Amino acid sequence: MKTVLSIPLRNVIRNRRRTAITLLIIVFGAMALMLTGGFFVNNFEGLRERTIRNGLGHLQVSTEEYLKSGEEKPLANGIQDYRALQEQLAAFPHVVGTTAEVNFVGLISNGEKSEAFMGRGVEPDREQQIGFTTTLKEGDALSLSPAQDGDNEALLGVGLAKTLKVTVGDVLTVLGTTTDGSLNGIDVKVVGTFSTGIKEFDDRALKVHLATAQRLMGSDRVSKVIVKLDETLYTTQVLSTVNAAGLKVSGSALRARPWSDLATFYHQVVAMYGAIFLFLGIIIAVLVVLSSSNTMMMTVMERVQEIGTMMAIGARRWQVLTIFIIEGAFIGSLGAIIGLMASALAIKVINAAGIVMPPPPSFSTGIPLKINFVPLLAVGVFVLVTLTQTFSALVPSIKAARLKIVDALRHI
Amino acid sequence: MDPAIQLQDIKRTYALGKTQVHAARGVDLTFTRGEFTALAGASGSGKTTLLNIIGCIDKPDAGRVHVAGQDVTDIPLHRLAALRNRYFGYVFQTFNLIPVLDAYENVELPLLLGNLPARQRRERVDALLESVGLFQHRHHRPQELSGGQRQRVAIARALVTEPLAVLADEPTANLDSKTGNDIIELMAQLNSSRGVTFIFSTHDHQIIRRATRVVWVADGTVQEQSPSDRINGLSA
Repeated sequence: MKTVLSIPLRNVIRNRRRTAITLLIIVFGAMALMLTGGFFVNNFEGLRERTIRNGLGHLQVSTEEYLKSGEEKPLANGIQDYRALQEQLAAFPHVVGTTAEVNFVGLISNGEKSEAFMGRGVEPDREQQIGFTTTLKEGDALSLSPAQDGDNEALLGVGLAKTLKVTVGDVLTVLGTTTDGSLNGIDVKVVGTFSTGIKEFDDRALKVHLATAQRLMGSDRVSKVIVKLDETLYTTQVLSTVNAAGLKVSGSALRARPWSDLATFYHQVVAMYGAIFLFLGIIIAVLVVLSSSNTMMMTVMERVQEIGTMMAIGARRWQVLTIFIIEGAFIGSLGAIIGLMASALAIKVINAAGIVMPPPPSFSTGIPLKINFVPLLAVGVFVLVTLTQTFSALVPSIKAARLKIVDALRHI
Repeated sequence: MDPAIQLQDIKRTYALGKTQVHAARGVDLTFTRGEFTALAGASGSGKTTLLNIIGCIDKPDAGRVHVAGQDVTDIPLHRLAALRNRYFGYVFQTFNLIPVLDAYENVELPLLLGNLPARQRRERVDALLESVGLFQHRHHRPQELSGGQRQRVAIARALVTEPLAVLADEPTANLDSKTGNDIIELMAQLNSSRGVTFIFSTHDHQIIRRATRVVWVADGTVQEQSPSDRINGLSA
């Protein structure tokens, strides 16, 4: 059947202009899907990694009590001997490092005005070692060495700093509740301002040394130990290993949670943009189907007499059908391949151009326009475009195969 | 001799707008093996309708059609593909070659549809292209051939399955008179050398003279059946 099968391929080559128009439609369709999908995936990945590096980490280890019932008083269910825990965690494969953190809330005052804050007591030296980043907007980062009594440093979210009208070097008073329920206050010196990229956080964020937070709360415990891995893809594997190990310190059972359970904002963004991408994908697929159907209809109309001749000399309906389906599948797969190659090239050019996009909703900074070439998406686009084009050929080819031979032979 | 093709009381009517055209009004015809028959008549007389019904590419409204002893009247056309491939070869006025295939591939096509092994296909196609004088042009596409050459390819394609009959609808109408005569000469030569039945429609008296049997068709009826020498006498 080599010759019969070659008919559709030869027709594709013979009708160069029509093939070129069809290919152009398919190539643009494939590129639209690849670029849009690649843009979203890059954004998802960027947001995920930024979320992890901004302090969420890949895993967060807390006490079972804390996870079950929370805390009536600050750090009541915190981790006591967190240094021992950090040593244990460091021994697991793929763990790059750990850092302890105290989460606390309270009021911060400039003497004239007080604002509520969400505070984090962190270990800047360990955060630096594991690659956690703070996007400074003004001043310096927290010093790497733990703060000494009377020399408390603080980094304020840009929104919070703006509300309090403070500049680097100003001294503020931080008020919080100690672990036994009483009120405590300490003075902190503003060393800089930072941005998390999310405006709502920046309006409330306060970052101090772990020791400062512990001093404010009158406890040597921490809320959690954050684990950074070498690659995000190992998260599930390490999570299982850590939880299976049944970690305990100072008699408290511990449990790890993955970043994906904690990154609510990330999931909301992915869900929203995922729906947009699906919608766009459907529109593009429909456009490709409509345009291609028109071209395939023209192809069939031009070859009605040829179809009649073939059926007269003994071609079965399915053979006529096959010719057009192969033609559709061939143009579809060729268009998809060219489209994917063109997408790869376009992605390289766009990524090299260094374009910066305006900040998306809830973000305070613009994001660089980067697009990923997503192999899985490429496979999906190839299959979708090929099937779409084949489907476009199906309807006119069924009509063609059902033509009366005498009518087909008379067709001009 | 057993009849190769038999038409019994064939009736066929077309609707042309609001007008009913009676293309066949109770036609009875029998064709035996090896005939070289002309269906003669003016345009619109019903020649093509009869050829289509004989070749199983159209159905009569009434009457019976027998091909090689088999009553095919009630078999749907789309299920007669194998029968058409096996028993008939077709030559059309407009040649109807597949434009993307070369001469060799066009002749080979019916054999591919009939699933003949490659070696036999090659032998038959080469032999036929040699017979019609186009072996040297076997790799030429239809658009690279003259009208006469295209019709020769079509004749080779019609004969390649070694059919019961070759049905040719106005095979010379699109050719100049010399080329037309050459084509009829070739058909006559192949008819005598291969013993294949040729049934062709025409309104050209020069062509009709070459037939060994002439069937006159007018207004959907077979008005006269006579040997060609009688036609020669009548038209001289």
